[in-house]
Amino acid sequence: MSAAIPVPRDCWYAPAASSEVGRELVPVRAAGLPVVLYRTESGAVVALEDRCAHRAYPLSAGELIGDTVRCGLCGFVYGPDGQCISVPTQPHVPYGARVASYPVQEADGLVWVWLGEPGRAGLHRIPDLPWLDDDGWSTVSGEEDVLASFLLLHENFADVTQVPFVAPDIAPSVLGSTPPPLEVVVSETSVSLHRDFPPAPLPEWQAEIVGCPPDAPYRTEQSGFFPSPAVWVDHWDAQAADGTWIRLRFTHLVTPIDESSSRLLWAVSRDFALGNRAVDQYLGGIFTDYYERVIDAMEIAQEVLEIDGPGPEVNVNADAVGLKVREIVDALLTAEGA
Amino acid sequence: MTETETRLREFESDLVVESYEVVAEDVVAVTLVHPQGEALPAWTPGAHIDLILTPEITRQYSLCGSPADAHRFTVGILNAPNSRGGSRHVHEAVSTGSVIRIRGPRNHFPLVASPRYVFIAGGIGVTPMLPMIAEAEAARAEWTLLYGGRSEASMAFIDQLRAYGDRVTLLPGNDVALMSAALDDRIGTPRPDTLVYTCGPEGLLGAVEARCASWPTGSLHLERFAAKATEGAVDTEFEVELARTGITITVPADRSIFDAVQDHGISVLGSCHEGVCGTCETVILGVDGEVDHRDSVLNDEEKASNESMMICVSRCRSGRLTLDL
Ligand code: FES
Repeated sequence: MSAAIPVPRDCWYAPAASSEVGRELVPVRAAGLPVVLYRTESGAVVALEDRCAHRAYPLSAGELIGDTVRCGLCGFVYGPDGQCISVPTQPHVPYGARVASYPVQEADGLVWVWLGEPGRAGLHRIPDLPWLDDDGWSTVSGEEDVLASFLLLHENFADVTQVPFVAPDIAPSVLGSTPPPLEVVVSETSVSLHRDFPPAPLPEWQAEIVGCPPDAPYRTEQSGFFPSPAVWVDHWDAQAADGTWIRLRFTHLVTPIDESSSRLLWAVSRDFALGNRAVDQYLGGIFTDYYERVIDAMEIAQEVLEIDGPGPEVNVNADAVGLKVREIVDALLTAEGA
Repeated sequence: MTETETRLREFESDLVVESYEVVAEDVVAVTLVHPQGEALPAWTPGAHIDLILTPEITRQYSLCGSPADAHRFTVGILNAPNSRGGSRHVHEAVSTGSVIRIRGPRNHFPLVASPRYVFIAGGIGVTPMLPMIAEAEAARAEWTLLYGGRSEASMAFIDQLRAYGDRVTLLPGNDVALMSAALDDRIGTPRPDTLVYTCGPEGLLGAVEARCASWPTGSLHLERFAAKATEGAVDTEFEVELARTGITITVPADRSIFDAVQDHGISVLGSCHEGVCGTCETVILGVDGEVDHRDSVLNDEEKASNESMMICVSRCRSGRLTLDL
């Protein structure tokens, strides 16, 4: 693999949360393209190419007027479909004065943008992430630009054995001991993994929040899903001796900025201690710290790849998930003709 | 830390027949849904699934519905007169409401983006073309379909295809001379901006392959229903180094690599075991000797590149292979 793996464009990416997009111009970069997001007066999200058709200038540095955007440099005005509707210096709009308008959808509290061939947008699905926008769950989240490729991030999420090394203090204690068998289920465009851990105490932070004795045994089911290059989801569901469940969902929204950097929007959702601000703060702190460590490790790995090239990596059988992720990404790129 | 045992499998589920519709003489379209209405795995045009009809009978069928429909798999099934039991089983035993176990989807016939396509289908080989055509339309590509069959009554989906007007040419009557002239017209001259997709009986595939020999590499995409005959192949013993596992095993003359690997407790994916479905495709890391590719999935270029092999049927002519297992 080369350090600069091309980025698949035929995929719905979620570069922003719905709450981040309002009546202001929000610049994002995705799949190598500059994009400006905003809401029309009726509340619909618009995604336009963030570069004026007239001169090299980002539309996001201009002004939102009603449902239109005016370039801050030359005054060209664009409608939500990307068509230029007026220019300041003449009565008629020149032919071809338009910017790309990308298909957008909102789901589960996220803004999803399609940067590939527009006609194919309807043939691809957006993964379901209902816990992100549901009263039965509380979520803490954060976002960060990462100087590492989207594929490195996915390979890291796919490698379940890495957590105890990167974050020994927050890893479930079950991860350090004899690991149960890893079930890997593949299909054409997705891969998932599953493990059942025998009863063991919860990690300290979790026992504290749940308010159970530190040695109360919980049996844990872990699942990881790669539904598309835009998302990696982990489920950690733990069941107490009395049969009650506590569930965690780790959502990683990965948007490739370009070949060697990505936007990571992470969210940790729980179905216990709902709406508890103190718990939010506590978890927010723990996981901000955790993801910073993950990001540091990924940036170092990217640097090695860029400086020394993609050396011959030794794989072990447990890498089956990461290898399948690569295979799916390769197939996507081939189908795009990339 | 002790070793993590990894068990690899394909998605598998019992689905319910939502509808069973006769769409031509001897052809039914079977639509399957999850019994609890759960979403099914995503797929792209050209993908197929296994129907596990009985413990002994597993057959591959191309998906012919819309990839955008998260809840349905539709396959078109021919009651072939010389069927090995699979299709006949479906026709006789399956009806609305019955439960069928499926595996997949997987895709060894993917639609690669292109400004122009020539689709060539024979008989039931039209099924993977339906979602391909829908995608080509959506992407505003230029395309034509040449669709041959025994008779109009035997050719499935012609009403829906007729809606595309003159981009679709129907050639009923199994007229070899007509088909041959049509092939010369469509693909007689190589075009660098065009990809050719074909699926159908062996005679048609051979005719398309012959005409595409002079086309740029990668232009022809072809899917076979049944294993290509391997003539006079001799099975010998050889060694395989399993790089990820870190062991070397001997494959006896009377066992496949697939079997030998499984004998050593290593989890590998397989479905058809006759080199048709592509499930067992394995990356080749090194060859000392000569790979004996016997599958019907890889094309000649892919075989020559020795990048991967179907370990259920392909072997090594003496010497040793290193595989990514
Ligand atoms: S199992 Fe089908 S090609 Fe090997």
